[in-house]
Formats: sequence, C-alpha cells, structure tokens
Amino acid sequence: MHETNKEWLPGFDKKFAELTHQMVKDLEKCLQCGKCTGQCPAAKLSSYNPREIIRDLRMGNVDKVISSHELWLCFFCSGCYAVCPRDINFPFAVSMLRYAALAQGYGWEEVKEIKDPYAQDYYDTGLSVNVNERNLGVRKEIAKNSGTDGRIETVRRKMGLPPKRKISQRAMSEIRFIADATGMTDLFKEIDKKVAKEKSWNYGSPADLVEVRKGPNQKFIDVEDEEKERIS
Amino acid sequence: MARQQVLEKTKVSDRMFLFQPCVGSNKYPGLITSATEFFKKLGIELVTSDDQTCCGGFLTFTNVAQPTSTMPAVARNIAVAEEMGLDILTLCNGCHTFLTEFSHFMNDRPPVKNVVNVILSMIGREYKGSQDIYHSLEIIYKLKEKIRKNVTRSLSGMRFATHYGCHYLNGFKKTALDDPHMPTIMEELIEAMGGEIAEYGENRTCCGTGLTQIIINKETLSLPHTKMKLDNLNAAEPDAVVVVCPYCLAQIDRMQQKLNYRGSGEYKVPVIHLVQLVGLALGVDVVKLGFDAHAISFKNFLKKFESVQAKAEVVDG
Ligand code: SF4
Ligand code: SF4
Repeated sequence: MHETNKEWLPGFDKKFAELTHQMVKDLEKCLQCGKCTGQCPAAKLSSYNPREIIRDLRMGNVDKVISSHELWLCFFCSGCYAVCPRDINFPFAVSMLRYAALAQGYGWEEVKEIKDPYAQDYYDTGLSVNVNERNLGVRKEIAKNSGTDGRIETVRRKMGLPPKRKISQRAMSEIRFIADATGMTDLFKEIDKKVAKEKSWNYGSPADLVEVRKGPNQKFIDVEDEEKERIS
Repeated sequence: MARQQVLEKTKVSDRMFLFQPCVGSNKYPGLITSATEFFKKLGIELVTSDDQTCCGGFLTFTNVAQPTSTMPAVARNIAVAEEMGLDILTLCNGCHTFLTEFSHFMNDRPPVKNVVNVILSMIGREYKGSQDIYHSLEIIYKLKEKIRKNVTRSLSGMRFATHYGCHYLNGFKKTALDDPHMPTIMEELIEAMGGEIAEYGENRTCCGTGLTQIIINKETLSLPHTKMKLDNLNAAEPDAVVVVCPYCLAQIDRMQQKLNYRGSGEYKVPVIHLVQLVGLALGVDVVKLGFDAHAISFKNFLKKFESVQAKAEVVDG
C-alpha cells in the first residue's frame, strides 16, 4: 500500500530549490540520444530506461516517475553521466527524485532496507558497516582460509589490530548531536514507524542461511548468538 | 583535464590523513595495514584518527538522511583532518566521491558553508575547505617510479585483471586522472611492478553493488549483473582481480562465494585492493596484507607467487 501522507520531508521543493532548478535545467539539455540507456546496467536487466524517464519528466509526467518502481532500480554507477554528450548528471537527478517520491509516500520500504542495519549501525557505532559478519557462508569460507573461527574480530587480532575499529566517545556524541539537530534521527524514527518489519540480514538471503545451518559447521551459525553479539 | 594537469595538482606530502573506509576496516582490515606499511617504506606517514567516522555521504545517496543532515556529518570528518593540517587520502571510491562532492558544494556556496559551520561550531569544530582530498589511486600513480624502484617482490609471471569501479572515473570524468572509457593507470602500475595484464571486455562495468541494489534488488539486479561480469572476467583467466574500492572488493569477493554456494558455477578469482598489491610487491609482511579476511582464498595465488619468486632468486643468484 502506498501512503499519501505528505507531511514528511515537507517543503521539499523549497528547501532544495536551487538543486531542483539545476536539475530541471540539466534535463532540458537532453538530446534523447539514448547513449545513457545503451550502457546502463539496470536497463540491461530490467524495464528501466533513463532516457525515457527524462522524456517523461520533460513531458510533465512527474507523478508517473515518482510513483514508479523503476525509480528504485538505478545503480548510481554514473556510467550515463560518463557517456552523456550533454553532461547530464542523471544519478543525481534520481537521488533528488527519490526524495520527492518519499515526500509523496513512495519508496519507504526500500529506504527501510538501508536504514536497518546500515544507517542504524552508523548512529549506534559511527560506522555503517558492522564488524560482525552476518553472512554465515562467508564466515565459513574465512574460517577455512584463515584457520580461525571465521570472525573478522579474530582475523583483526591475528593481524595485531584491536578486534574492531575504534571510534572515540567524542566522535559518537558529535555525530549523534548532528543527527538529532538536523532531523536525521527523526527521519529514522519515521522510517521505523512507517515500515514495521523484521530486520533484514545484509549479505545472504534467508534461504542461504537455512542451508548453511544444515552444514557441518553448526557452531558458527547460531543466529541468536549473532543477535546477542550485535546488541552488545 | 589532461592527466598531466591532474598529476601536477596532486601533491604528495610526507604526512597524510588516511581516511579509513567502513568496509575497508571492519570487513577487510588489510587495506588499512597494507597502506600504512607500504607508504612507510616510501617515507610517507599515514595518520588516522579515532574521531573519524563513516564518511556519511552514503546515507544521503541512499536517501535515509537528507543532504541537510549529512553535509555537516561529512564536513565534520574533513574538519578532523584539517585540524591536523593534513591532506586526505581515501581508499574508497565512495568516501572519495562524497568528501570531494560535498566539499566542492560547500566551497562554491558560502551560505551553505556558513550554515554547516553554525552546526559544527556547537561541537567545537569548523570546516574550512583548506585541505586537498585525494583518491589513493592518484597518489600511488604519482609515486609510480618510486614504487618501481622499491619493488622487492616482483609481480612478474602473475596475470592481473583490473576493475576501476564506477565512482572515481565516471563521476569525475572531467577531473579524474584518467579517461572513464579506456583507463590505463592501473595497468601501468601493475606493469611497473612487473605484473602482466589479463584483459576482459566487461572491465568498465559496475561490480554490481549498485550502491543500494545489493540490498534492495539483490536477486533481480545485483547478483545477475555480478555473475555476468564474473563470467567474462573468468574467461581471461587472471590470477587475481585488482580493485580500488572496498565495496567492489566486497561484492566481487563475496558474490563468488554466494554463486558457488548456490551451485551457479565455480568462481575462485581472488580480489585484491591496489594498496594490498603494492604492499605485496614492496615486501609488506603477508599477514599484514589481510588476505585472511577474504572469502575467496589466496592459497593458490600465493603458491604461484612464491614459486615465481623462488625462480627469480635462482636466476638472480
Ligand atoms: S545520454 Fe544524455 S543527452 Fe543522451 S539521452 Fe541520455 S541524458 Fe539525454
Ligand atoms: S547511474 Fe543509474 S541510470 Fe545511470 S547508467 Fe548507472 S544505473 Fe543507469
């Protein structure tokens, strides 16, 4: 179900007026030559088509673009920008359009996938990537290659490093201050409220995890243990 | 900009701020240690700080935080290096992009910079825009001749495929060190260390991380894309593939494990970051290169490398 609540990211157009004007001016320059789509990795594998999105925007079909599933397929690889004869920075436009989509109630599910665990890890630990390896298949390979238990903490120790990267208390309080003062924390809360969902595991679909669990390395794959470790 | 102009603008200092990437420290710790160790051998001290967090730009372009939130977060990290009076060296295409783009944005717009500094003043910091931000590829390329002279373990007899990733070349097509369509800087570096090049057609395609695609459209976009790239890469039979971004490293390394696990083929190309490769050639202790943290084993790679070294010694002796 799409939401129609327009309260969030209010005044999007005003706040980012300069950027949105620049974006519109940029898109006006498009020749519709299709070089962007010709080399686009997302276009190769799906119905995504950057040239067509630009055409739609220029024809005034903004709602169509903003409500589309396609808007969430861009790789942000900037390959289109690299080939564009008019130097249109299309992924930048996609990013702005995604904010516009959120303001109209679209895309919150996608954003939730990023918020948990990455953005939450940023707020909790200062880094958006946790030292805890959540893909148990990878952990098994690392264990085999390194002759350890397969945990990055152990590998780091073996290299003479502390088990995880240190972030100072000062840095933590500073980034939390910035997040709280600028509305980042509120947006996180809003994402949680709008999309109540079980936490997603990063690398590794549930199917992969289940199968690893049947494998010989039973002891690595106690998901509950991982969970405890993550919280601690 | 022509390569020569970019090189002229690139300043190598004997102390630089090593901007630690998230993936390149908590998943692949070898990046930090390799870089620190081999730069030391070249007389350059890399300094880190516990006050530096995730660059913060990632949150903007994945739309979980608005630019108004992440701009000060990025500026804070740059300010940490500025306080030390050091230029920044990045190991990640992402960190490099976000730090560079955001600092240009603020430097070109004094009102934005002022607002950011109002927030930073409340935590006792200030963003000045006084230091340079470099991708490690730029600094390493600038040091190419010095590296050539300091090679203690030649890469000769080893074949490498390169993968430049998207954000350094594509995003900076006017200011990067090389052409986004047919870059050669990594190849030149590998050859300077004695290695050979394994060419393949999909060199310039994305690794498949696709910023968020590995998370939001993994099965339909990210994984099939990576598989296509890997199949093309494998046909060139490299001993390893060299990357300059920890996200590319994680994707190409870990998705091989996944494809193997699912029985979608046999993938076993080790993935190595350029700083690990230079570290290897300049004689950094193998443990410090951090291959232990990789999902795809370096066992065969190191076996071949050692046998090549042994042969070279016989010839030398
Ligand atoms: S390559 Fe540039 S000019 Fe050509 S269709 Fe795409 S955006 Fe338009
Ligand atoms: S940045 Fe997006 S639109 Fe452009 S080529 Fe890459 S995937 Fe396609």
